[in-house]
Amino acid sequence: MLECKTSKEIGGMGHSRKRKEDARFIQGKGNYVDDVKLPGMVYMDIVRSPYAYAKIKKIDASKALAIPGVLAVVTGKDLEQYNLHWMPTLMSDTQMVLPTDTVMYQSQEVAAVIATEKYIARDGRDAVIVEYEPMTPLMDPFKSLDPNAPILRPDKPGKEDNHIWHWEVGDKEKTEEVFNNAEVVVTQQMHIPRIHVSSIETCGCVASYNKVDNHLTMYMTTQAPHAIRTVIALVAGHVGLTEEKVRVISPDIGGGFGGKVPVYPGYVIAIAVSFLTGLPVKWIEDRSENLQADSFARDYHITAEMAGNKDGQILATRFKVLADHGYTDASANPSKFPTGLFSIGTGSYNYHTAYMEADAVYTNKPPGGVAYRCSFRVTEAVHAIERITDIFARQIGRDPADLRMQNFIKKEEFPWASPTGWSYDSGDYHAGLQKAMDAIGYHALRKEQEELRKQGKWMGIGISTFTEVVGAGPSKDFDILGIKMFDSAEIRVHPTGKAIARFGTKSQGQGHETTYAQIVAEELGIPMDHVQIEEGDTDTAPYGLGTYASRSTPTAGAAAAMAARKLRDKAKQIAAYLLEVSEEDLEWEPGKFFVKGAPDKAKTIQEIVFAAYTNHPPGMEAGFEATHYYDPPNLTFPSGAYICVVDIDPDTCHIKVRRFVAIDDCGNIINPMIVQGQVHGGLTQGLAPAMYEELIYDDAGNILNGTFMDYLVPTAVESPSWETGHTITPSPHHPIGAKGVGESPTVGAPPAIVNAIVDAVSHLGIKHLEIPVTPYKLFKELKAVGHFS
Amino acid sequence: MNTTIEKQFDIEQPIDKVWSALADPAYIVTCVPGASLTEKVDDRNFKGEVVAKFGPIKATYYGDIEIKELDEAAHRMVLSGKGLDSKGKGSADMIMNGDLSESDGVTHVKFSMNIAIVGMLAQFGSRLINDVSDQLLNQFVENFKAKLAGEEVANDLSAGSMLGTMAKSIFRKKN
Repeated sequence: MLECKTSKEIGGMGHSRKRKEDARFIQGKGNYVDDVKLPGMVYMDIVRSPYAYAKIKKIDASKALAIPGVLAVVTGKDLEQYNLHWMPTLMSDTQMVLPTDTVMYQSQEVAAVIATEKYIARDGRDAVIVEYEPMTPLMDPFKSLDPNAPILRPDKPGKEDNHIWHWEVGDKEKTEEVFNNAEVVVTQQMHIPRIHVSSIETCGCVASYNKVDNHLTMYMTTQAPHAIRTVIALVAGHVGLTEEKVRVISPDIGGGFGGKVPVYPGYVIAIAVSFLTGLPVKWIEDRSENLQADSFARDYHITAEMAGNKDGQILATRFKVLADHGYTDASANPSKFPTGLFSIGTGSYNYHTAYMEADAVYTNKPPGGVAYRCSFRVTEAVHAIERITDIFARQIGRDPADLRMQNFIKKEEFPWASPTGWSYDSGDYHAGLQKAMDAIGYHALRKEQEELRKQGKWMGIGISTFTEVVGAGPSKDFDILGIKMFDSAEIRVHPTGKAIARFGTKSQGQGHETTYAQIVAEELGIPMDHVQIEEGDTDTAPYGLGTYASRSTPTAGAAAAMAARKLRDKAKQIAAYLLEVSEEDLEWEPGKFFVKGAPDKAKTIQEIVFAAYTNHPPGMEAGFEATHYYDPPNLTFPSGAYICVVDIDPDTCHIKVRRFVAIDDCGNIINPMIVQGQVHGGLTQGLAPAMYEELIYDDAGNILNGTFMDYLVPTAVESPSWETGHTITPSPHHPIGAKGVGESPTVGAPPAIVNAIVDAVSHLGIKHLEIPVTPYKLFKELKAVGHFS
Repeated sequence: MNTTIEKQFDIEQPIDKVWSALADPAYIVTCVPGASLTEKVDDRNFKGEVVAKFGPIKATYYGDIEIKELDEAAHRMVLSGKGLDSKGKGSADMIMNGDLSESDGVTHVKFSMNIAIVGMLAQFGSRLINDVSDQLLNQFVENFKAKLAGEEVANDLSAGSMLGTMAKSIFRKKN
């Protein structure tokens, strides 16, 4: 139970109030993009390439156009006339909207069919005949820099290879020196494979261009509506779609997780068709399109190294990354960070020397990658550091919990300057790990493991202690396509004391309608039930960069607190006027100002607000509203300690997660129930890549698991019972001391699970396993070390 | 994606009769479910068509068939087929090796097929390709034996029976 400053009725921070948005969701009354129906609306379906790399010889749309109800078939050549066949990506690379001569990945958009009804559009799609000349695709990123590899991007002037960019951070020479002189050095190669966000709602839009007033309304599954509006104006301003003529509406979104940040070709084609015809165009992709063509996540090949002493002290780390981006860099990172926030991979440990470098390459795969429920490549970084830390511990014969405790940054040492340039704001890693160890009964489990091993049974315990970095970000370093990553809140309170607050973020299930109301309630004492929250309509919401990378609470949540405090200042002035005292004589308790020493002489916030409209002090502006654009001074650094216990069947290699304890530190907690829900969901999305999910391609460029029959999204059957808890180290620079939590569990869980599985069979000589760890993979590794002979 | 299927069967017919039947694409094609020959280019090259149905995915392939090797003395043949999906949804290439031998008046037929699939069939049906190809080959063997024995053989693609046999095989233990 958290100590709350406000009453349950007001429902400020710390209260586990039920989510206001759930009423419509659990009754099936949400308002999603596919629910939008406009008069005269037509439907779009997309013809996709079966080949990963091929020349297009001919597109024959005659049979499709002969179907009654099919209105048009749009190809790259049609868009070329308006210079809309290529568009920029968020990382300043370029991407095809529709190809004019070459396809670059299996499932790439090749043509769009427009019809009066959804299923006619689908029939039309199946009737379009495309003649291809297949070429041998480049599927192996390690071969992409071979001298005889095909140049995948001849469209880029002067490009003579498939290298996209090189990045590095840290002190290369100093790190090399430490490694050369260290007593112990461990190295491990690891692949964080491609996975897919697989949100329950796929992507789609309704593009509605009105020819009479030259105005576009774009209903869209997007996590960042304002950024989209600006991008549309930048790309299509030359045909008249300037920013005041564009309205983007992001209604209820069924899960984003980063997959709804990119601008997919389907959106642009829909806008183009609507623009040309003046009809509303609806495009909703089906599940296999979403899985096979939309942005993947991860796909980093990492060589991780750690140098330390025999007594267990970590001295330095060195990471080298090969990043497979598909055929264009369509990742969604802040522009100065091609590897996102990967440099957090130095972890929770108190050493001062590190070096990291990365190279990105093109391959014939769908473009990306997005930050799937992780703050820009943090999952990849945390997997690397937590695996290599375990490997180091094992190499010197130390218990992994003990080794971590020895090396943790101490609570008093914050703010901590990491060797790659971060200033960690606060944390108490020792308390977190201790709490997790107590909750799971760590020492008893180690004894049990010893006993079970004597009986030939395999049980493992795995730990992951991670530091996350979220809340992008301070304007001096963070921008997307040049737009700084502040965020905003606008609060207006009505005469009768009820409020509406609008934000530049966009919930896709995070619960903003509840948590933002709780922040306003905390600051102003207005009951959270009386505060209506709105996001997603660019005509009314203040400008923001959207919701992803756990940034909403650190940025927009802070903006809400700041705007509410401006209003509280105004309220104090009005209260002083009404009570005929000076402001210094007033004290605040949630919901009212009262005279010091005379608590009966008070005015409630409702009385004060009413006065702002009916009896405001002379010389003061009437009304009661405030806006704040918050530029965070730093990112925030949530952390966690996760411990996982697995049992493995020695005959079938079937892996069962027996227990999983997650202790999260997200600073001050707004709504404990919502945090717990976030953790449950995120842990499941961490279990997924650890044991089940991976997008698999063959040499011919085929995706081999393009449906949910073979791409294994965990269900309730696979999910263990999650045990959650928290520690609280508030962020010293955040107005309400909160850090954000949505993505911590997805980041921290995979290494805990893999460390447990490796621990279970380490006595047989296994040192590392690649994710997803399947029974078959485990069987092969065990066979390789002589087991099962 | 690549898949290799190997089959062996015995047929109570003289080896030369089996050989001349197997070496004649026009004869074989009448035994492959869903297949037909459309043109004979020369003795070694033919054009044909195959309708394949794998679960929910149905595709028609137009292709070139070539007899690459025909060794009558050793009773060995190598056949290749390269097919493009009629709607541009992918391709399927096949190499088949066939060997005959004889003992006690029974001809033993051994053949292996390597199939490479690109496109829709692989994207949606990769899990099914092995099983369905296996079923297709079993059907072929039945048809071939029957035809050699002088019976009438219908090789239209009966989707229902294909799916049924396939479904049964998934639940039956594999040997």
